[in-house]
Amino acid sequence: MLRKIVDLITSLKLTIVCLVAGMVLIFAGTIAQVHLGTHEAQVRYFQSFFVWWPPDSHDFKIPVFPGGHLIGAVLLVNLIAAHAKRFQWAWRKLGIHLTHAGLIIMLAGGLFTDLFAVESNMRLTNGETKNYSEHPRLEELAVIDTTNPEYDQVVAIPETVLQRNRIIEHPSLPFQIIVRHFFQNSRLQMSSEATGSTQPIADRGPGAQVIVQSVPRATGTDEQNAVTVAVEIVPIDLASGAVQPSLGTWLVSDELGAPQTFSCAGHTWQLSMRPERFYKPYSVTLQKFTHEQYAGTEIPKNFASRVTLIDPERETNRDVLIYMNHPLRYRGETFYQAGFQKDDTASILQVVHNPSFLAPYIACIVVAAGLLVQFGYHLVGFARRRSRVLA
Amino acid sequence: MLVLSLRASSACLLLFSFLAAGCNRSDEQIKVYRLIKPSSESTPPDKDSLASTNAPVKSTLERVPSASSNVATPPNWEPQQLSEMRQASFLVRGANGATADISFVKLGPSAGNVLENVNRWLGQLAQPPISPDKLATMIQKVSTPRGEVDVVDLSGKPESGDEKTDGRIVAGIASDEGTSFYKMRGNRALVGEQKENFLKWVRSMRSDTGDQTMTQSGAPMSAPSGKPQIKWEVPAGWSPNPASAIRYASFAAGDGSGGKVDISVITFPGDGGDDLSNINRWRQQIGLAPIDMNAANITPLKSGETVFATIDIAGANARTLAAWTRRDGHAWFFKLTGPSPTVEKEKVNFGKFVQSVRF
Repeated sequence: MLRKIVDLITSLKLTIVCLVAGMVLIFAGTIAQVHLGTHEAQVRYFQSFFVWWPPDSHDFKIPVFPGGHLIGAVLLVNLIAAHAKRFQWAWRKLGIHLTHAGLIIMLAGGLFTDLFAVESNMRLTNGETKNYSEHPRLEELAVIDTTNPEYDQVVAIPETVLQRNRIIEHPSLPFQIIVRHFFQNSRLQMSSEATGSTQPIADRGPGAQVIVQSVPRATGTDEQNAVTVAVEIVPIDLASGAVQPSLGTWLVSDELGAPQTFSCAGHTWQLSMRPERFYKPYSVTLQKFTHEQYAGTEIPKNFASRVTLIDPERETNRDVLIYMNHPLRYRGETFYQAGFQKDDTASILQVVHNPSFLAPYIACIVVAAGLLVQFGYHLVGFARRRSRVLA
Repeated sequence: MLVLSLRASSACLLLFSFLAAGCNRSDEQIKVYRLIKPSSESTPPDKDSLASTNAPVKSTLERVPSASSNVATPPNWEPQQLSEMRQASFLVRGANGATADISFVKLGPSAGNVLENVNRWLGQLAQPPISPDKLATMIQKVSTPRGEVDVVDLSGKPESGDEKTDGRIVAGIASDEGTSFYKMRGNRALVGEQKENFLKWVRSMRSDTGDQTMTQSGAPMSAPSGKPQIKWEVPAGWSPNPASAIRYASFAAGDGSGGKVDISVITFPGDGGDDLSNINRWRQQIGLAPIDMNAANITPLKSGETVFATIDIAGANARTLAAWTRRDGHAWFFKLTGPSPTVEKEKVNFGKFVQSVRF
């Protein structure tokens, strides 16, 4: 039995099946981008173990095709296992070994990138300074203790946690957060203007006059979900751990604008929903954004951001020009010129933190070296044989 | 042996891949961090404080010595907004839209040597790097009472492509307790015209208070370079504290037994936020609940031609006196905070201090 399993995972047929499945998946995923948008197609087809049908059903769905994670993982296992099983050291096989090692690095690098890379955006107007970037899609509930005059203490709860947990407790919070309602995407309307019988779901803050409508999740690259959550604040007695009477329910949404304030345990707290933030130990100031167009057209010729990078910890203060194919790399993050606001008043930098960004480069070098060695070995052998024949 | 080693490595890689697949992503974890507040006053919108993920930031940057704050500058040097790094900043305008930017920045000792910085500037002007021998022939030593400054004059192609605003750099580097950078960059002809003024400014920035040639004399206290001009008389018993990027000026007072009070002068471009928000933030800082504007009890206080709004906020243990006015596009906040008994003693001094202010 074990032998059959080993034979299966080391077989060349499995490699061919995985490669063909990968080609089909890439074709289907590319076509799906037309209707789903780039991000959603990427999640459903490539960043999943299976492609599900029907895709939006929460009750019943069946896997109809292996997803990118599954195909990649099987291919990686197949490659490593086959290599380990059949490995025989010989100089004449060095090229083959190197080529396979390069492919393994490529696949493993892809997996690590998918698992650990974080992409975010930094939107800067001319003269503006920021020391954080924001997630392009995910939001977070920021619970901020503003009591201390010197600093704010922030507890940032990602929307994925809000979505999966009904009761949220944290050592930094003297209260429970009970998620009464969670809307992945929503539309808000003043209750006085609403025509239906729907009632507000919050009883504190401006949300007590607001009706929330659930709308389909945004799937396009440039679309943003308006995450809205109704949270009930229930204080906890710090000595006994007992739950105390509720302070009420607040509606928190990026659409509501200003943070909402309440008091608990002698401290003042703010609630706000905002794009998930990634703070950095340095700051970036946009000195000037330049957008050049081809004469007589509105076709972009070049757009560039001159920024000042200030890192007090490393005593760095330098100007950097970021433009297409010339990103800024600093402290493991890469800043690309990604876009700009329509009236050219703001520049949008994409900030990528990818610990395995070197993997594709290393893989390509190793594969190229392997192919050179392999073909070189055969070429030399061929030349020697030919010279012997001629002699 | 090699075969075994490679097989073991492959097995490890496989195992590690599965372990990695089981790891939690950072976007599924609750994060806790502290953000240092920008200031005790309202900051201009969209300006974030420098923050850290764990603790308030302590800037490692050094400030300009107080002796250097009294430097007078040529009248055509327009003071510019200061930043975290720029401790002095000016803009000079010439004919036909030409400009030159002048700055003073002080960094720690690891800010690079003279050659590295000169080559960096040459790179910005599209010029090739130079050798140490070549650098030695280019450096002009400017003697100052506190040591020498190495000054270089570099020309090249404008980095921005605009010859009106770029093309020449005159810069001085001094190494003492850190590395000081004096820099003028802009239009080639304008930088040449201003070079003598720039060198005078470098000398005066490096001088002690006794050097009267470039300091303002007669003023009880003058504004730091690059900031709006203001004068006042400091009451007896108030000791100056170091200014900061946020605080225009800072003082301490008190007899020690009743606790010390903190006096701050802060200015912002614009209106500095609405009065009620500021008042309620000051109230919150001493443990009081927010109020509405009708209950704020704001009192006017005339100082020369300027009328200040003042307020006295008393908490259970602490008390705050504040006066503010808006003038020439800037909001000015004067604030005294501390234990109630000491604040009561210093109230008269604070009133005199505010009344001595002249813009």
